[in-house]
Amino acid sequence: MTEKQDLPPLLARQVGKATLPDGALDARKLLGLVAAAYEENERDRRRADRANDLMAQELEDALTAIELQNMRFKAALDNMTQGVCLFDKAARMAVCNRRFQEIYGLSDADCKSGNNLIALLLASQTLKQADDMDRRLLINEHIEMDEDTSCALEQQWPDGRQITIHRNSIADGGFLDTIADVTESRKASAQIAHLARHDALTDLPNRLLLRERMQEVVRNALRDERCAIMCLDLDRFKLVNDTLGHPVGDALLVAVSERLTSLVRSNDVIARLGGDEFAIIQQHVRKQTEPAQLARRIIKELAKPYVIEGHKVQIGTSIGIEIVNVAELNPDEALRNADLALYEAKAQGRGTFCVYSSEMHDNATQRRELETDLRDALTQGQFVVHYQPQLDIRENSINGFEALVRWEHPTKGTIAPNNFIPVCEELGLIDELGKFVMQTACTDATQWPENINIAVNLSPLQFRSGNLPDIVKGAIALSGIPASRLELEITESVMLEDVASVLEQLRSIKRLNCQVSLDDFGTGYSSLSYIRNFPFDRIKIDQSFVKDLGDNPDSLAIIRAVAGLCGSLGIKSTAEGVETLDQLDILTREHCDSAQGYLFSRPVPVEEVHALIYPDGLPKQAKPKGKAA
Amino acid sequence: MWVKQLDAAQGMEGLKSLPGNPDLIFIFGETGSLQSSSLPGQLAKRFPDSIQLGCSTGTVIDHVKLSDEGLSIIAVGFKHTRIALHVHPLPDIAHSRETGEALGKLLAAPDLAGSFILSEGLGVNGSALVQGLQNILGNDAVISGGLAGDGARFEQTLVTVNGKPVSKVAAALGFYGEAIHISHGSAGGWDEFGPKRRVTKSEGSVLFELDGKPALDLYESYLGDEAAELPASGLLYPLKIWNEKNPQDQFVRTILAVDRDTKSITLAGDIPEGWNARLMRGSFDHLIDGASEAAQHAHTKLNEKGIQAELCLFVSCVGRRLLMGQSTEDEVEAVADIIGHNTPIIGYYSYGEIAPHNISKVCGLHNQTVTLTLFAEAA
Repeated sequence: MTEKQDLPPLLARQVGKATLPDGALDARKLLGLVAAAYEENERDRRRADRANDLMAQELEDALTAIELQNMRFKAALDNMTQGVCLFDKAARMAVCNRRFQEIYGLSDADCKSGNNLIALLLASQTLKQADDMDRRLLINEHIEMDEDTSCALEQQWPDGRQITIHRNSIADGGFLDTIADVTESRKASAQIAHLARHDALTDLPNRLLLRERMQEVVRNALRDERCAIMCLDLDRFKLVNDTLGHPVGDALLVAVSERLTSLVRSNDVIARLGGDEFAIIQQHVRKQTEPAQLARRIIKELAKPYVIEGHKVQIGTSIGIEIVNVAELNPDEALRNADLALYEAKAQGRGTFCVYSSEMHDNATQRRELETDLRDALTQGQFVVHYQPQLDIRENSINGFEALVRWEHPTKGTIAPNNFIPVCEELGLIDELGKFVMQTACTDATQWPENINIAVNLSPLQFRSGNLPDIVKGAIALSGIPASRLELEITESVMLEDVASVLEQLRSIKRLNCQVSLDDFGTGYSSLSYIRNFPFDRIKIDQSFVKDLGDNPDSLAIIRAVAGLCGSLGIKSTAEGVETLDQLDILTREHCDSAQGYLFSRPVPVEEVHALIYPDGLPKQAKPKGKAA
Repeated sequence: MWVKQLDAAQGMEGLKSLPGNPDLIFIFGETGSLQSSSLPGQLAKRFPDSIQLGCSTGTVIDHVKLSDEGLSIIAVGFKHTRIALHVHPLPDIAHSRETGEALGKLLAAPDLAGSFILSEGLGVNGSALVQGLQNILGNDAVISGGLAGDGARFEQTLVTVNGKPVSKVAAALGFYGEAIHISHGSAGGWDEFGPKRRVTKSEGSVLFELDGKPALDLYESYLGDEAAELPASGLLYPLKIWNEKNPQDQFVRTILAVDRDTKSITLAGDIPEGWNARLMRGSFDHLIDGASEAAQHAHTKLNEKGIQAELCLFVSCVGRRLLMGQSTEDEVEAVADIIGHNTPIIGYYSYGEIAPHNISKVCGLHNQTVTLTLFAEAA
């Protein structure tokens, strides 16, 4: 038998445990211990097997999950609109998506993982379309991107596409390139940028771009260089729009912009500021006269007829010019000054140009003050109505008064209508002012004899709202004056408005039994068609003809003709501006019906009217008054 | 310092050979034996001035022999070392830290050289208990010991104090003075296997989910038929846990209880959420290598000072015992081979070991290890 110390330790211990106190071996106990040890080993082996199986299963499951995840990941990657390519820290490709292959024109074989970026770019079919030089440049740009930080690159590719490459470093030391085709987006952006800076109709620069161009001019200014900023406004454009419709108006604007473009030098800038307003930057002005020469050319060229959709259209242009030293050019100020000059040009009768001067700025300031004052005047009752008598020449007696509005300014004294009516018209205050005058005149006239009429002037703008007949009706009703005593005076400029609407309103007024006069006849177009189109009750011959009587034989001829015409048509005639007895004599000879002027009286406040009607306390003929207004 | 192992079978007879009255008597006993034996009481009566400390277990270690029954007793006399025993109630798991702190305060003294802790083994969070001690004594405090055991039964654990077995307490033995030399060794020898998992739901020492799946399901599938013997069979597969952000934080955790309703398992120490976990399993050879490693470490520490260990307290995990069966004695043999067969060994199979980790000065609760505390007295 083997010695105990030669036994394996476990068996030796088992033998020890199975040895009885007398040294004999308890074989049954030893076998029990040995069997238990085998069982323990067997159990341990079973546990190990089970654990191995489970672990293998777990790993298998994990692998399946990873494969599924990979599949989803790949599906997500391949459906991205951007190309992505992931590189490991040795700059070898780890993974790329289908879009990346498409953008670069790479085959599956080209995109084996482990390839480096240079190999990929060299294999790119898309980049091969570029010439050698460009291709090298594109590839170099890309491979030189920093691998350690985030950066971006934009390239124009040989096929015309605009491509952005974004690089982001990743935690394990590699980097991710994201490639996007931004061609459409860039086009859209460019389009949006263009739209934001150009007029959609004419494609000329708009106000925003004009301002930017002006700033550019300033930045690039040479020493002592000058430029001109012009503001243009088309005369009678509104009429074209109103009568021929907006499509014709739009086509006209396009035609105008084309003519303007042909008139300026290539480095000059034309902008459409809106409506019928244009602006021009005339660069490199060497002589002070150059802008004026250009303005004249423009006025001349734009005045030439246009044929649009079969219509022959003619318009004019007014131009305001600001000439400045480029270094001192302030876009806002220059445009404002040019605009003031334009305002002046229009005031001078349109179809002309004005160069800005500092008085214009002063005038504008005054005008702004006037505007403020005017608004106050209406609310504070600063307007009063004065009356100037009209004489029935044959009867030698007053047969009517013309109502004339005066502004009793609290600090500036009495202001004449021609100094504030145009401003009221522009500010939209004319309806309110007109209503006030008509109402006052009608009410005052009720205090006068029945045979004395009251004449009230109407501004063309009062016809725009379309409710003038209602205002007239209101004034008659409120004052209680017989409508037949109310004469409404219009000038022929009323006919430049919407003719149909004007005529409709005039007929309504006539139906009320009011009388309608044509004022200032002979100064404008003096078209006889006006007289034919509407049954005027009276024609008032402009004072300029009366003033010239005795000096200018033409004036007499005209007065004779008008008075004769009126006689034939059964229309009354009134001569304005009669200042001398000689003039009155001539008018009497020429069978003029009525006369009005300082010979009889200046316009007087209502309190003085009674004294004119009844100079001796009785109704007698008016006596000549002094000339002072 | 003298050390004398007593043969419990001889009862009080064995005391005749003692060189003097012992200062300290360690008693480890199989739970039933510890409750029924009159020997601890007689010893307490015979040596009223000596300190007696021990705990319950499933298997006692009496030098190189293991026994699943009876008691293992050793008497120790010191020449230059003062010792003190402190006991504090540990009513439930929630009081673990508090109890540790209370014991820490009782132990604290400028000349404290080291302490040996024995605690209730089931109703305790061993990590919290040790943390409590360290909160008072500092992270560098020399602390070792273990949680009382109950073999594969997991029913009742006891700490025996001066002749009386008591439950729901923790006891701390302090060694004071410069003469006492204490060294430690602790190692497992378990092999990691299977996939890395993540602790996705846990609360203190209760683990609910790994990778979003119930932790109990995982154990049941790995144990197969042996799942019926949970929680004991769970010891076959300890869990290594570690903090990925601080890989030094790593522990081996073992199962103390299972809750089939919540599909959770209660471990012998904390298992923080977000930490990584991997199952472990043991092969006889590697576990025995682990014991050798622990012994080598402890032995070297004393040897460097030219000191020979005079006593080895051997606390090993019940899981090792369950796995190795009769081969378990090999690990005790392996330890004796290194520290020397003349050095007396006494110890037990525990529900958790307390020792500084070999690679860290920080003391902590360990599971599934062999944890050795070597003593020597040198003036």
